[in-house]
Amino acid sequence: MIVERNQVVVSGSPEGQPIVFIHGFGCDQTMWRQVAPMFEDTFQVVTYDLTGMGKSDLAAYDMKRYAELEAHVIDLLSIMQELDLENVVLVGHSIGATIALLAANRAPERVASLVLVSPTPSFLDDPANGFGGGFSNADLAELITFLEVNHLGWSTRMAPTIAGQPAGEPSAEELTQSFCRTDPSIAQYFGRVTFFADERSAFEQAARPALILHCRNDALVPMQVADWMGARVPGATMKVLDTTGHAPHMTVPSDVVGAMRDYLAGA
Amino acid sequence: MMAKDASEERLETLAELVEDAPCGMVITDPHGRLRYVNETLSRWLALPARAQDRPAQLPDLMTLPGQLFYETHLGPMMRLQGFAREIACSLKVEGGPPLPVLITGVARYDAAGDPVRFDYTIFDARERRAYEDELRRTRRKAEELAAIVRTSPNAILSVDSTGCISSWNASAEHLLGRPFDAVLGRPVQEAIEFEGRPDWFEHAVGICETAEDASFEMVGQQGYHFEVTVAPIQEQEQTPSSRGYSVVLRDISKRKRAERRLHLALDEMKHRVKNTLAVVAGIARQTLPADMRSGFVARLHALSRAHDALAEQDQEGADLRDLLAFTAEEAGGHERFRITGPSVLLPPHQVTSLSMALHELATNAIKYGSLSAPEGHVLVEYDRERHDVGQIRLVWQEFNGPLVAPPTRQGFGSKMINSVIKAELSAKVHFDYRPDGVRCEIVFTPGTAE
Repeated sequence: MIVERNQVVVSGSPEGQPIVFIHGFGCDQTMWRQVAPMFEDTFQVVTYDLTGMGKSDLAAYDMKRYAELEAHVIDLLSIMQELDLENVVLVGHSIGATIALLAANRAPERVASLVLVSPTPSFLDDPANGFGGGFSNADLAELITFLEVNHLGWSTRMAPTIAGQPAGEPSAEELTQSFCRTDPSIAQYFGRVTFFADERSAFEQAARPALILHCRNDALVPMQVADWMGARVPGATMKVLDTTGHAPHMTVPSDVVGAMRDYLAGA
Repeated sequence: MMAKDASEERLETLAELVEDAPCGMVITDPHGRLRYVNETLSRWLALPARAQDRPAQLPDLMTLPGQLFYETHLGPMMRLQGFAREIACSLKVEGGPPLPVLITGVARYDAAGDPVRFDYTIFDARERRAYEDELRRTRRKAEELAAIVRTSPNAILSVDSTGCISSWNASAEHLLGRPFDAVLGRPVQEAIEFEGRPDWFEHAVGICETAEDASFEMVGQQGYHFEVTVAPIQEQEQTPSSRGYSVVLRDISKRKRAERRLHLALDEMKHRVKNTLAVVAGIARQTLPADMRSGFVARLHALSRAHDALAEQDQEGADLRDLLAFTAEEAGGHERFRITGPSVLLPPHQVTSLSMALHELATNAIKYGSLSAPEGHVLVEYDRERHDVGQIRLVWQEFNGPLVAPPTRQGFGSKMINSVIKAELSAKVHFDYRPDGVRCEIVFTPGTAE
């Protein structure tokens, strides 16, 4: 069952318009903890973990299948189908935004609109076509190395201790680096799929209107990529948040909630 | 001047400890904005002296891939769980190569539970990174090789110095029909039995004493045919007495089946050739006039026997000695037909043409030559040429026959010898019609079976 497999959590108003949150690479659905609950008053809120991440069933992560983002798109469509969601708002962060957009292109009849938080169609530079994604192959290869050496407490033998934390205060359970961790080989693999994905043509053929939230100083998505999306993504509303970083839903959650409310109220 | 009190001195020590600590120390606000960088890290990264020239954000200190990792992992972890431990990352160094570091961070909260600042300690990880890189390279290589073994279509197993199985890949499970757990630690000769060779492994180990490996074909219990290769595993740190062996079983059942089918087809072909010759002989007997009949049928008979010789040798050819034995029979036995020469294997096309030539020579000798007289005999001597061992010189010499006169016309026999034999064998043929007996010399290069 996909609902168990992907740790799908449904909350909010059962009769409200469905809003599905898709997290990005690196963490899991807890990333949305300061945003998703804000919509529970009027929306039926759905969050889940991408296959291979968070508390999803790691055994379901078939490397061959998940070599393509398409597999995550099919997972999302299956969740919508399983929960019988119509007229859905899809909210995705980073690669989750790409997954949301691909899902809307595949099943536009189910999707009302998109909210893309810090999206990018491609991290890779493509000088031949005048596209500056921000990163070269070598940069991304080194990132993969970081993913390889940072097991983030995956080894269960590691003693759950941490410097600077008064002993005995949080329980030992919480002291392990339990967030943002998964099997390092999956992290590495999904990292490759994420950072080498090039979905420019899908962005140019967006089948549903989208709110794009971009942080002014995003180390991962240069301003020129935001300009590219503003000019090329049909039906896009570009909103630049005057902040730093790649995860505004975590750093400035109230700004993100506000921009989303305005957009969804106007839609 | 008043002496410094104890708490003042303690504060100074603490300040020095932090500023000049053997690790970098950084404080940021919850947005990643740098609030404090200690002396040690400023020195490591060669940061500008003036505060306004320095990077404003923690990720600004990192290389591009480091920033990616910060945004996707380190930052979210600090927010979500309030700490991060020993995160490997790289920092930019003004005018130098990036500095590999390990970052540990902890979030500090106010009374309301909101984060107010993130404290980080940063360790120089150059030595550790170099060591890890090497480990990673070695591991990748080992994994690659392991993957080759794991996915090989051949059964690959390792056997320890006592002859017991220590590992066994997926193809071994499949080909030998037993899971690894069932054979681990068992003597390999018991776990894998081959027909008629219960001591195959000991035998192979014996061969490996003097050779690099032992390779042979075996039939397994389930009817599989295997090519088995046993080779010692050469590891530097092992003494010869403790070394193990790799055993590779390649399933050659398909090839064996194909070979069998080919054999059957060949046998069938031989059978048909003989039948056809017999039918032709039958037709000749009923059609030809009596005077021509026996010669023709005798020639067919010679041809048929040449095919018999080929059949016995499994179609790879026939021995010249056997062909001459047939001719000797035709000529009336070894009393009258003496042969000296070594064993020489000839390919099929040379066998048929040469046996026809020998038949013609014998027929001629019986009718007109030495074998037509009661005391006459033939001596056939052949050998490899001294100056060119690739060539055979065959001399047919007749003795004690009637007086020989050179023939006035060419009969079928000499036509056959002169044309067909020259063409088929690329032979040099020389007849010498000496008054005391015909001498025929045939020099040719034995071909190889195709």
